[in-house]
Amino acid sequence: MSSLPTNESAIELSGVGKRYDVLQEPAMLLRAVLPFRRTSKREHWALRDVDLAIEPGETVGILGRNGAGKTTMLRMLAGVSRPSEGTITIRGRVAPLIGVGVGFHPEMTGRENVFINGMLLGLTHAEVTERFAAIVAFAELADFIDTPVKFYSSGMFMRLGFAVAVHTDPDVLLVDEVLAVGDIAFQLKCFERMRALQAAGTTILLVSHSMHAIRLLCPRALLFRQGRLELDGPSEEVIARHHELLSVDATAGTDESSGAGASLVERTLVDATGAVAHHPRQGDHLTYRARLRFHHDVDSPQVLFYVLAEDGTLAYEMKTAIGRRHRGYRSGEEAIVEIGFEARLGGGTYRLALTVTDADGRVPLLQDVAGLAMYLAPPLGSAGIADLQADIALDGQRLTDHDGLLLGEHQERDAP
Amino acid sequence: MAEGRRVLVIGPEPTPWSEWAADLVAHGPVLVALARKDFQTRYKRASFGVLWAVVLPVVQALVLAVVFSKIARFDTGGWSYTTFVMSGIFAWAYVSGTAMAATTSVVEGASLADKVWFPRAILALVPVLANGVGLVISLLVLLVAIPLLGTWPGLSILLLVPASVLLLALTTGLSLVLSALQVYYRDTKFMVTAVLLVALYLTPVIYPADLLGEWEGWLALNPVTGVVELFHSGALGVGIDGRSLIVSVIASAALLVGGAAAHRRHDRLFVDLL
Repeated sequence: MSSLPTNESAIELSGVGKRYDVLQEPAMLLRAVLPFRRTSKREHWALRDVDLAIEPGETVGILGRNGAGKTTMLRMLAGVSRPSEGTITIRGRVAPLIGVGVGFHPEMTGRENVFINGMLLGLTHAEVTERFAAIVAFAELADFIDTPVKFYSSGMFMRLGFAVAVHTDPDVLLVDEVLAVGDIAFQLKCFERMRALQAAGTTILLVSHSMHAIRLLCPRALLFRQGRLELDGPSEEVIARHHELLSVDATAGTDESSGAGASLVERTLVDATGAVAHHPRQGDHLTYRARLRFHHDVDSPQVLFYVLAEDGTLAYEMKTAIGRRHRGYRSGEEAIVEIGFEARLGGGTYRLALTVTDADGRVPLLQDVAGLAMYLAPPLGSAGIADLQADIALDGQRLTDHDGLLLGEHQERDAP
Repeated sequence: MAEGRRVLVIGPEPTPWSEWAADLVAHGPVLVALARKDFQTRYKRASFGVLWAVVLPVVQALVLAVVFSKIARFDTGGWSYTTFVMSGIFAWAYVSGTAMAATTSVVEGASLADKVWFPRAILALVPVLANGVGLVISLLVLLVAIPLLGTWPGLSILLLVPASVLLLALTTGLSLVLSALQVYYRDTKFMVTAVLLVALYLTPVIYPADLLGEWEGWLALNPVTGVVELFHSGALGVGIDGRSLIVSVIASAALLVGGAAAHRRHDRLFVDLL
């Protein structure tokens, strides 16, 4: 990949690390001045040993679980935080969209925030005046532009933030998971706008948990894991590795998932051909396979299989008949549990979890609370945990099909 | 293609002085916009609006003048006690009000500072500038009041110019230092409140310094004393204690340099603690 820095790289990181001192209790001036005991602190490296070069005009996706260091890196690229070691070089004007809002003052109106933000992002007052109408029109906030932004919804905040950022002609646009709060229509508008910026040569870094967004916009992606840059490569490769790690990291916690009576030796998700399913798709026939080892003699263990959505909602549950006798296991004996199912769920990440109990369902032998992660790419335009494969038609013209929104000419552009 | 583009290099070291200062100057328009906003929000939702910026200090001065001239009966040596209180209280109100607001400025600016880069010193300077408008109004009120109250100090009135400059320097220095401290030590604002409460009585604002007799020298150790006395000189034409003036000048310079150094040194680190 293009990791070798050139003189013209838009962004360059060499040996970058960021350490946070986590204070055990808040620091107090009185204590610092007077000879009391000092507040103890713990060091935490949020990011370490990152070497990276991003060329002008590239669009790069950033993946990783929460706490992997993605936001820490973006904050340093935005210039608000400096690294504890290493050097960051940024060539050109940066427009950061980190979290919701580019940095708005809640007491100020939308109009005032547009001006202050435009100026903070490098425009002059005259330039903001010139672009003001376009910004407000893009954000669709003409009716609320003189309302203090503390009364805005998160969607309105995000719309205004995005509108200001893209109208400052940035050389580098940093987008951190903000698109998630907008409605579908606005998300599409943002996609269009990012494509236009892409075409105009803007460098874009996009942090997203939506693999769909990454696939659509980014040829290249970075995967962060526990503060390290785990992988830098073509998006598909990186997404695959990301999902693999989600499973690995979940399985790594088998100790926690052990009950007193049995332990989970391994668990995998396989597809219809018997291969490990790294990229299951909606509607695929999948098999959850787990190997258990019993730690004492058990007669007729019962199995509960359940699927949790990202927010903890129970998406599905299936259990064996409590009390029904089938066979017994001796201590140390292993058993294979296989659960075949069809992935008829909406897009998102799910946890496939298992509970094994004794014959009467009273004593839990094993509780796999962490579960196995399964990611299903959401069809564009859809949301929710059910997969209803809705078709929307207007006067007979189909606007969506079960694969998601029909994007007209973009459909062709997306095709490889 | 990259020609003419800004190149930003950030490492673990603080920004060099020249770069930090240039960045601060470049953000001047943002400072002005934020200060204007700060001033407007304070008075916008009140009836009579900006008129309050004039009324409040006048009422404060009148109350003090009435109360203390009737009750305490200081020996004023012929000059107007009301002029004395007004000239001192305006300076005091500016330095104390600004220091209080500036202390929490960086911490409270988190929603703005969290995401977009600008030198954090800008946030500390916002109240300095915003309250500066009120100070100018107060000084105009003072200029009108002095002849009305009977004692015109003659050419000494020009001393109000260096007095204002020294007041600005002291306040700016304090604001920079306190705003940086508050990020690291969240109890700073309580200490500031407490110190200011006591300091009003350790500054010759309500009473003339010579009232203290042999203790007068101790008052000079308070850096605000020199500033307030310079205002008294301008408004009343009275002499000034050289020691307190020297303390004020040295303290202002030290606070300015120290505050700027603290901000430069921690500028891209503040955000980690917000």
